[in-house]
Parts: sequence; structure tokens; C-alpha cells
Amino acid sequence: MFKKILVANRGEIAVRIVRACRDMGIAAVAVYEPDDMGALHVRLADEAHALPAQGDYRSPEAMLAVALRVGVDAVHPGYGIISEHPGFVRACEEAGVAVIGPGSAVLEQVRNKIDTLERVRAAGIPTTRPSSRSFAPDEGEAMLAEATRIGFPLVVKAHAGGHGRGTHVVYDSDTLLAVVKRSSGAAQAFYGDAHIYLEAAMPASRYIEVPVLGDCHGTIVHLGERDGSIQRNTRKVIGESPAPGIDQAQREAIWQTAIQVARLFGICGAATVEFVVDSAGQHHFTEIKPRIQVEHLATEMVTRIDTVREQLRIAAGEPLGYSQEQVRLSGVSIFCRINAEDPWHGYMPSPGQITCFRIPGGPNVRVDTYAYSGSEVPVHYDSLMAKLVVWGTSREECLHRVHRALQEFQINGVQTNLGLLRLIVNDEEFVSGSYTTDSSQRHLIDTPPSDDNLSDIAAVAALAFLARARSASPATPPAFTSGWYRESRRIP
Amino acid sequence: MHKLQITIDGAEFTVEVDDLSATDGFVTAKVNGVPLRVAASSLSTPESIQWAVVDTRAYELQIDHELRWIQSWRGRHQIDVRDLDVRVARPVSTDARIKTPIPGIVVRVLVEVGQEVEAGQPVLVLEAMKMENEIRAARAGRVASLSVRAGQSVRLHDLLAEIA
Repeated sequence: MFKKILVANRGEIAVRIVRACRDMGIAAVAVYEPDDMGALHVRLADEAHALPAQGDYRSPEAMLAVALRVGVDAVHPGYGIISEHPGFVRACEEAGVAVIGPGSAVLEQVRNKIDTLERVRAAGIPTTRPSSRSFAPDEGEAMLAEATRIGFPLVVKAHAGGHGRGTHVVYDSDTLLAVVKRSSGAAQAFYGDAHIYLEAAMPASRYIEVPVLGDCHGTIVHLGERDGSIQRNTRKVIGESPAPGIDQAQREAIWQTAIQVARLFGICGAATVEFVVDSAGQHHFTEIKPRIQVEHLATEMVTRIDTVREQLRIAAGEPLGYSQEQVRLSGVSIFCRINAEDPWHGYMPSPGQITCFRIPGGPNVRVDTYAYSGSEVPVHYDSLMAKLVVWGTSREECLHRVHRALQEFQINGVQTNLGLLRLIVNDEEFVSGSYTTDSSQRHLIDTPPSDDNLSDIAAVAALAFLARARSASPATPPAFTSGWYRESRRIP
Repeated sequence: MHKLQITIDGAEFTVEVDDLSATDGFVTAKVNGVPLRVAASSLSTPESIQWAVVDTRAYELQIDHELRWIQSWRGRHQIDVRDLDVRVARPVSTDARIKTPIPGIVVRVLVEVGQEVEAGQPVLVLEAMKMENEIRAARAGRVASLSVRAGQSVRLHDLLAEIA
């Protein structure tokens, strides 16, 4: 097993990796950009090394320089940032530093999403229908022609990315180019690559993903499936495992296909195989993410398998040590992403200082976060600030628990999507489990909440108003009450 | 004695408060003539109010620092408070100046000086926290000035544009 691991990431996933290392008695080395100095992952690590400049979380050279200087035997890049940079992974491999994640060979294969789809289709697995190639943002004519061939509605996706950034549904050719402009702009901002591709959309479908673990000795197991259909602002906000509303035969068929796809790409480590299930119940492969995913907590709750620990063991060459039959799926978990953003103001990100941060407790509730009372939500990074997952023996129990955990969760100082999450878990489509990707269009925030006692709210508003008015015009100006004022008037 | 008119999601309430100092932790507020006993966490600023108990009903709250909304765990209420003693209407929040809501980089400017814009029309795109955010005009009018260009980084509350 490794002795010392470089955590080449930040935020909650860096905290998660530091925890896994320490749980296994491995030293964790954190890195930080100048503006991220007091971040939690830095404070919890065994060693903390400064990166020279802002933006260096994304710099393979800066990251590798730390790895070599400190003498770590492995690097865990987490998800996002540098995890899917084939150049970085290859440089680590050449320098003799193990990478906990996909090897450069796998990365280069799956990075081209259109080739990936073609390869999977060639193996006889149904896939979604993508455009024949990716497009630069200025190829308007060619895109329109391709869109007409595929047919509307269709989805515009970032060619490089995998976090839903830049993903938009288009319903007609009039709006295609405007949407493409937005998508490629977002893709450029987040992934540094403005290329996009098109894919035939499937209305009222479900987004099902199957996490898999493969060791380097030929064993591959799946860890059940998750439903990621609930999206807001084109990003997944709620996930659950198992997926409601699909029957056992469908479930097993999806699992088998996921294993087949993982074998096709020689997955050694953690990966997630993603499918779109159409309204007829047929599943279509769409993407493979050869790394740890944001939603891995949902799977950890139903399998009780520590995914990051398994990643470290696999990368160290250990066999999984268990078979598919020994992976037990029990109960139901529901997962929420808490973002620093204001859903009532067009999902505007909300950086700033957190004045109150109270996390929910009680049985079967878990929160992974980098935040704490007094910490900052930095302006440079993604808005994901915390992840909540709850577990229950049944879906009904789980629904009650997620409802109360979201009630208990209190964050002040920055805006968050907690209010929206509470509305979603109370929405009839979510409660019944009959939701599809179309449910993302439901306008839950446009109507004010009906079940609050408005007289009570009026009373509180009155006190807030009067207290503010009072503190805005205090009887004695603050300058006169300070020691400086008194001192200056004292006769020497 | 203070008398306020409070609009919540379109419904109007008259609230009277005699004395802001609390007795046994509670302040009495008369809402449409009905007295309610209210206790709240620190009243120093609206944002610092994190919870309240009204009679026997407990609330977890988040309040906008400009008192434009109050959020309970059930959702967000739009509010408007008017002091009936002062008899001055609060300025309507359609400021002609568009300022940076968060620090970031201007990706695209979507309007030109002199152009007519509608209320709610996107004026420019600001990249912050790895997201592209559309900054919209708060009211209709003509773009009187533009203080930024694409590629420029801006700080919090920098002036972006003015609508005449």
C-alpha cells in the first residue's frame, strides 16, 4: 500500500480523499492556491504545500513539481480540475507516480465522447444518437445541417466535459445557434475547450448511472444504480439509489450492460457508466466517467463500500477480494448537492463568508463539505459547497429523513439552493418516484409557499424592519463611544 | 408605537409594535389587530435573524439584508415593508445603475451605448465561480453608459452600465 498520497484537488472532494487516506493510515499531502490557503482540506492534511499561482490547481507542471518534491508514491486527482487531463496523467506515469484514477490510455479513449459512443455501438450495445463529429462554435451552417439530420429536440453537450456544464436542450432550429453560443461559452469557461456536439434528445426519459469498480486482475463489479434525472440549471441536484420506477428485470439488464461497457474499456478503478432510459423502458448508453463521481455518497450508503478506499487499494494493485454476489445492496439513499447560488435570482453564484453553518445530524445522515462557520466560499471555484446524503430501509423512510435533514441544514451569509431542494423533495413527482428528466422543467419556485402562516411572517418582518431602523440611527454615534474619542479629549 | 404596512406575496398586513424591548424574551406585535408574541434571534441586522418563535410556532429563517424577501424552509416570500408613520414610499428597486453582483470577468457585452433595452433584458455576461451569468437590466430605458468591455475583470459593486 502507498505511504504518502498527494491530493490534487480542492473543496469537499479533497476533504473526502484526505479522510480516506487518514482512515487507512496513509499520509495525505494537500496543495493550495494562494487564495485557498485556509481551506479545510489544507487544515486536515498531514502536509500542505503552496502552489505558486492562482490557477495552478489546473496546472499539470505545478502539480507534478509538488508530487516529485515531496516524494509521494501516488496522486489522487478526484473529479474535475485536473483528473481528466491526459497530459498530467501521462506525466505522472512517466515519473513513476501512481495515479488513483483512470490511466492515460483509458482517458484518451473516453475523452472523445463521439468515438466512445461508436465503439460501444460497435459492440452491439444500444446508445444515444450523437452527431457525426464535434463542432467549433463558429461552424453554424454545418451544425444546422447536422441538427436537421438528427431531428429536434436535441441536446447540445460540451465535447470535453462531464459535469453537465454546457448541456442544453434545443427544441427548434431557430434557437440552436444561440444555445450553442451559450454552451460553448460555458464549456470554454469550465473545461478550456469550446467544442460541442449534438445528441438526439429523448423526452420524458430517465438518467440512470451505474457505478462500477474494477481491479487490475479482471474482476469488475457494479454497485447498483442511481437515478440522476432531477436537474436544475442543467446540473444534477438530487440523486437516489436504487432508481425508483424501473422494475427488477430492467435494473439487472442495465447492470449487465454497465459491466459489459466497463470491460470494453478495461476499467481498472472506479468508473460510472451512464444511460438514458427512454419512455418505453429501453436503456441507451450515453457516457462513461472513468473516475470518482460527485454522487458516490449515495452508492456508499446502500453498499457500505468506501469507494475512495477501494480506489486506493485498486491503484496499489490489490485485488477487490469480493465477487458481485458479495456486494449487498440494501435500503434506499437520497443525495442532494448544496450549491452556493440563488435559485430565485437565475442561479447567480453567491461567494462570501459563511456566518452560520449548522449541519443536520441524527441516524443515517451524512454531510461531506469543505465549509464551516466563518469559512469563505471562494469566488474562483465551483459553487458546490456541501453534499448531503441520507439512508432509510424504505423509500418512504428515506423521504421523511431527507425532508427533515434539509430542514435542519442552515447556512447563512451566502445564498444556497437549500430552499429549492426542500421544494423538490416535497414535490408530488419526486415523492411518487414517477419523475423523469422533464420534471426539471417544473417551476417550483415561481409560486410562493402556501403553507406558512403569513401573519407570523409579517410580525417577524416588522421586527426586522424596526430593528434595522433603530440600529441605522443609534442615539449616540459609534465614534463618540469609542476609546479613541475619549482619549483625544483628555487634556495632557 | 410603530405602525407598518407589510405586503407578503401580494397580501397586505398592518403591523403595530408598541415597544421593541422584549418581555420574557418576547415582543408583542399586533398583526391586523391580533396580538402575536414574537421571539427572534439577534435583531441587529435582518440577516442575523436565523430563527423566530411566534406564539408556539417555530421558524428557521433567512432574511434578505434589504428586506425584499424572507425564506422559511417552505420557500421564499417576497415582502415589502412601509412605515406608515414616515409616509415616504420606499424607493422602488429599479436602480438605473447596473453594478457587479459578484466579482468576476466580463465575457460578453450584449448591448451598445444608446441602445433601447427592456426591463429584464440581458445586458452582459459575467463569468464567476466557473459559471456564465447573465446580468439583466432592472428597468427599461436607453443605455446611457457602459463602463466595461469584454475580457475585463470586475470587483464587487463595480459600475457596469447605466440605463437612462
